[in-house]
Amino acid sequence: MLWRQALIVGTLILVAVLVELTLLSRLGLPGATPDLVVVTVVAIALAMGPTQGAVAGFTAGVLIDLAPPGDTLLGVNAIVYLAIGFITGFVIDPRDRTVPILVGLVGLSAGAAVLATAALDTLLGSDRVSWEDVPGMALSSALYAIVMAPLVILFTAWLVRKATPEVLVV
Amino acid sequence: MLSRRTRILLAVLVVASLTFVILDLRGGQGPFASVRNVASNVLGGLERVAATVFSPITGAGSWWSDMRDQAAKIDALQTENDSLRSELQTLKNDRARADALDALLRVSSVGQYRFVPAEVIAVGPAQDFSWTITIDAGRNDGIEPDMSVINGQGLVGRVLKTTASTSTVVLIVDSTSAVGGRIAGTEEIGIVSGTGRQDELEFQLLDPMADVRVDDALVTFGSKGGRPFAPGIPIGQVIEVAGTPGQLTRVATVRPFADVSQLSIVGVVTRPPREDPRDSVLAKQPGLVAQPTPAPLGGASDTSPASADPQQETAATPKPKASTAPEKETVATLQPEPSPSAGGE
Repeated sequence: MLWRQALIVGTLILVAVLVELTLLSRLGLPGATPDLVVVTVVAIALAMGPTQGAVAGFTAGVLIDLAPPGDTLLGVNAIVYLAIGFITGFVIDPRDRTVPILVGLVGLSAGAAVLATAALDTLLGSDRVSWEDVPGMALSSALYAIVMAPLVILFTAWLVRKATPEVLVV
Repeated sequence: MLSRRTRILLAVLVVASLTFVILDLRGGQGPFASVRNVASNVLGGLERVAATVFSPITGAGSWWSDMRDQAAKIDALQTENDSLRSELQTLKNDRARADALDALLRVSSVGQYRFVPAEVIAVGPAQDFSWTITIDAGRNDGIEPDMSVINGQGLVGRVLKTTASTSTVVLIVDSTSAVGGRIAGTEEIGIVSGTGRQDELEFQLLDPMADVRVDDALVTFGSKGGRPFAPGIPIGQVIEVAGTPGQLTRVATVRPFADVSQLSIVGVVTRPPREDPRDSVLAKQPGLVAQPTPAPLGGASDTSPASADPQQETAATPKPKASTAPEKETVATLQPEPSPSAGGE
């Protein structure tokens, strides 16, 4: 049961990272790169709970920092995604699983991820962050996330139900 | 029990029908023939009206089969169309790749750079504010950190780190990037640094009295040993000059020649030319504004006007130049030369 969960999380995250870096970032869309990874992390958190969400977020952050051409501080994304995975898994009320709320949560997470990453990077001394671009990045990232959210959430939920039916989803 | 009247009615009707049957069984022009004719005419007319009214529903069968026929046809056409389109796309893609390689070859042949071609396979997310890409050539292809990366338009960046089969390239527009640049046709040098924006570089002149104008083109002046930047690679064009001559620092805004958001094929310069190609690469760039002083070209020995023919150039390219290691030379030509025409010798 545990290893199956781990397998799902690992596979989803890996696929999301690869798709984001090799496909989404090359589309040349205005603003931020569609952050499929954060959407996937939130989807996992929603489907499996805060603990798994946190693990997924951490894994995703490490992977995206490690994967070339990542040249940012290793671990910044891990912290941010971990927090997002845990918080989204924690705050969501099982009785409140309506689509607008879930999708809104994903958008919020994506925007927050941009802000948090930029803030952490700046705090840690990176001089790359140009703050006048941050609001636009956060906004566009949130929008892209909202577009991707329904599909990713549904697919993840379906996969989780399918692969680990014995697990009672919170 | 049935009433008497009812029984009578039933009996009459049964008898009547039996009578009809018997009479009709006799065939021919019986007594009912004309009645029948009239009735069938009237009814026939009604039927046609009804049929017209109901045709959308009743016709569903044939309509459906028509639809399925058409659907099949559409499917077939769609498939054909898709395959043609993908073929076209591939062709276009191939053409674009060929063009990119051509341009790359032109640059490298004029400048006599030896390079390893590579394709961009991944791009860092924009929200990281880092302009980095991954290319599909690495240590196994002879790539080492701090090699220049170019494409057909000009300088793209430098290799940051390598794995066995991929390399990470930090682009010139990244805000951590700094390249030594020289205004083409002059000896004015300065630092070209990235701004984090894809179409803007910042050029800081070392000499505050230098004469820099809009539309001036910049080339790399090259680092010692050609690492991280080989000399003579076009960088970009000045689009705005801030400050007046004599100010402590003069800054110009430069638009890079290479469109870093549209990178597909790049070349990693594995060996810089033996001689600084000066501005010759720039002059060969198609679609560039002509330099005011194109005379001093000819840093490279074989950049005679005859080689302007692209065919000739491309053909001349692949021969391995510079078989002797040019390690001894210092490529950066910081000392001013008496006349621009002395370039290269």
